[in-house]
Amino acid sequence: MSLHYTFPPASGYLLNRCLYQLKSDDTFRERYLNDPEATLREAGLDLERIAALRALDRDRLLALGAHAYLVFMASLRLKMVTAPQTFERF
Amino acid sequence: MVLRVHAAYGEVKQLLQATRPDVICVVAGDHVEGFFLTDVPALAVYVGSSVSGKFDRYRYTFDVHEPLARAVLEQGIERGFDLAYSQDLALDYAFFVPLHFTMPEPRVPIVPLYVNVYLPPQPTPARCYAWGQALRAILDARPERVALMASGGLSHFPGTDQYGSPDYDWDRQMLDRLVAGRGAETAALTGEELDKAGNVEFRTWITLLGAVGPARARVICYEPSWHHGNATVTWPVA
Repeated sequence: MSLHYTFPPASGYLLNRCLYQLKSDDTFRERYLNDPEATLREAGLDLERIAALRALDRDRLLALGAHAYLVFMASLRLKMVTAPQTFERF
Repeated sequence: MVLRVHAAYGEVKQLLQATRPDVICVVAGDHVEGFFLTDVPALAVYVGSSVSGKFDRYRYTFDVHEPLARAVLEQGIERGFDLAYSQDLALDYAFFVPLHFTMPEPRVPIVPLYVNVYLPPQPTPARCYAWGQALRAILDARPERVALMASGGLSHFPGTDQYGSPDYDWDRQMLDRLVAGRGAETAALTGEELDKAGNVEFRTWITLLGAVGPARARVICYEPSWHHGNATVTWPVA
């Protein structure tokens, strides 16, 4: 069995930066939700990475060098905006 | 379950309320919040006058005990630990969550101590343990009364196929060892073992275990949720 959390290759840097910003940068997340294509293009992603990120296709994103925790949290943050009723708060 | 975890935090708060430390040093992992791939320190100390962060709807700020933070940094370096430091960093929720529930009134300043847990290569368990031992020696020589807190774990696998299957057995066996005062054994764990047990964050505990030495753990609670083992533990030291 391979490790769950592995070294993020440099080829995945821009992708990881977008995931990080979707997780932690409210302004970037809002821009992304308004215009995902343009926001990711401006962030330097190519078409393949844009498609994988827009689909939140975890396996594809991991294959492109994304960090598993960032994929998880970016997806969660987006869902908290788009489907807030599915979350329970304590 | 949530209420039982909150009650356990309540016990820790009472303990801090009764013992009145001057400072709480918090060892925690960064969830790629304060540190991104721009800089990834294995071990770091926050040395500012205050520190802020956000987590969901929460916004928080804590005073930092700057003289102690600086002493830990300088003396840590003297003792051979090549610590990174920052004076401007978003404080991760791993620091905020336990403090949110346990900060005594009136509040006391903190010292945030970072251990890299999510961005491989992380520091080895042996290194974390050794840093904890050095930390204890540094703190023992200081005039402040210090509470040391570690935040992180237990078993969980965010973002992986194993998210719904934490390794509760690993957690329980580990807690048994800690209750027996066998924390020193954690220095011999491997990074691979921690990753496979969903316990990459256990490095923060190992750091604390280096500081508390053979003190026996008192487990206030261990609560397995569907995606996470939650433990609240205290170590009374002389």
